[in-house]
Amino acid sequence: MSIFINALKNILHRMLQLLSFGQKTITNSLNIYIKTSGGNTLSVDLDPTWDIKNVKQFVAPKLGLEPEEVKIIFAGKELGDRIRIAECDLGQQSILHAVKIKVKPKLREIKGSLVEEIEEQCTKPLCNTLKDVMFSSDDHTAIGKTESSSSNESDKLRVHFFVFCPTCKALRSGKIRVRCNFCKSGAFTVHSDPQNWNDVLEPKQITGLCENNPQLCANVLDNREPTFAEFYFKCSEHTSLGEKDEAIPLYLIRPNLREIPCLACTDISDPVFVFPCAEGHVTCLDCFRQYCSTKLMERQFWQHPEYGYTLACPAGCPDSFIKEIHHFRLLSEAQYAQYQRFATEEFVLRSGGVLCPQPGCGMGILPDEECTRITCINGCGYVFCRQCLQGYHIGQCQNPENEVGANSDGCIYTVDPARAAEARWDEASKRAIKVLTKPCPKCRTPTERDGGCMHMVCTRAGCEFHWCWVCQTAWTRECMGSHWFG
Amino acid sequence: MAALPRRIIKETQRLMQEPVPGISAVPDDSNARYFHVIVTGPEDSPFEGGLFKLELFLPEDYPMSAPKVRFITKIYHPNIDRLGRICLDILKDKWSPALQIRTVLLSIQALLSAPNPDDPLANDVAELWKVNESEAIRNAKEWTRRYAMGN
Repeated sequence: MSIFINALKNILHRMLQLLSFGQKTITNSLNIYIKTSGGNTLSVDLDPTWDIKNVKQFVAPKLGLEPEEVKIIFAGKELGDRIRIAECDLGQQSILHAVKIKVKPKLREIKGSLVEEIEEQCTKPLCNTLKDVMFSSDDHTAIGKTESSSSNESDKLRVHFFVFCPTCKALRSGKIRVRCNFCKSGAFTVHSDPQNWNDVLEPKQITGLCENNPQLCANVLDNREPTFAEFYFKCSEHTSLGEKDEAIPLYLIRPNLREIPCLACTDISDPVFVFPCAEGHVTCLDCFRQYCSTKLMERQFWQHPEYGYTLACPAGCPDSFIKEIHHFRLLSEAQYAQYQRFATEEFVLRSGGVLCPQPGCGMGILPDEECTRITCINGCGYVFCRQCLQGYHIGQCQNPENEVGANSDGCIYTVDPARAAEARWDEASKRAIKVLTKPCPKCRTPTERDGGCMHMVCTRAGCEFHWCWVCQTAWTRECMGSHWFG
Repeated sequence: MAALPRRIIKETQRLMQEPVPGISAVPDDSNARYFHVIVTGPEDSPFEGGLFKLELFLPEDYPMSAPKVRFITKIYHPNIDRLGRICLDILKDKWSPALQIRTVLLSIQALLSAPNPDDPLANDVAELWKVNESEAIRNAKEWTRRYAMGN
């Protein structure tokens, strides 16, 4: 019944709005969803110059409550009455949570002025209480909040997050949001602000109160541990597509508050990429992209057992691998596709698999250990020998030189001329690879020797096998003695 | 040709304004990525008194890739082959964009002071350096006198 009345009221309100449009124009009105504790969602248009008290007065009648009985929760904070909407980092179709207060506000006042002061501080929106300085350093001893008098400076210190937005498919500035770690409801208030990236990225760092269903969320956990906050991010540059529309935090991209020059080009730019090494080496985003694409072309990415296919600090610092591989989304679409292909290939090879040698296929196959006759099942269907990667044969592998042209033994098949023309180029490069290169004896990566001695070191990151160009086996002292320089 | 990256301009300026003692590096008039380098032989080394010409080229993706450096003056050194190619880790797998032209040239100068016959490029030189160091040093001095002195 109440839903029906609400809906009626809504329609009535809309009609009134339409009627009064001529006289009272709401400039830049924000279309906001308000979720109530009952699970209903109201769609309302709010004026950004309103404060939270106005919002309560506006929303309370729709919930059948008095304005004093409502609290407004957003991004892990109960918002104070004097906060203006414009301060809150709300975007079109953001979601506010309206919750009925269980304790009467009057009871609280008796506790004295001190309590009230603290509460007043807590009710600022999260985007205003977080400062960049806290997030520009990775050490766990947080740098204190710097209070600044001029609004200009505080605006500069306001926290900036960078995200990869799957909708925009690009690097965007992001907004931090908070929800209950257990029930995923946004009607959740934090007990304290996160002090550094560890608090935000690692689960169960910051405790809070779930207003959606405090009993359930606490009881399920047997009250043995408190309810925890979960932080997530949204793109600030497109209209929210709902609660599922999340962005991935690229937390190594940070505002260059300390004006540190790029390690590679020495220019000072903003934002910058801060590598996860002890020294915190900095590059500009362009140089980061160039670093990635150079390393990608040289196949010098590392297959890290935990993080995946990744890179370390270009200055060669220890323990500096990039953990969040979404940072490589900064590469162009084509390069990122190549990154994914190389990562998959590397994973297949590391797991003892093989890649289909057919030009244009390259399907990864994970055969049984003893199996030498391999069929490219999900790919082109090619049947090949595991040892020499040529067409499957019985008996010893042939020398590649003798093998060229051995296939023309009168099979009857038709050839699509277009396909044949395409294949000729591939055949030419296949031949060039065969003539000019020798495979690394350990990982079979075709290797070209463009001068120097016979001591080869496999260029594939992670293999780096030392081998002899003449013997095509591991490099030994004997090789050194008899044919080091040919 | 694409515009010269600011980093190269800055490095060149600094090489001109604050030259490294014993090293001169001047960009070519027609190609700012190609440097004419002269390194003086370090004191108390068999190369003392010599002036060694090198060429240094900054490839397209410098500083992501290492500069290409080669001795033009003939030199008798276990880590430098007869074509002037240098065996130095920072020019290969230990390269980092944090290094610069100046650090590379300083490393090459240091290599002249401290040859490393265990990681050789010129086999016969390295062999002699290990077996008969005094004779190797004599050869190095002789080559320095013959090729690196008096123009």
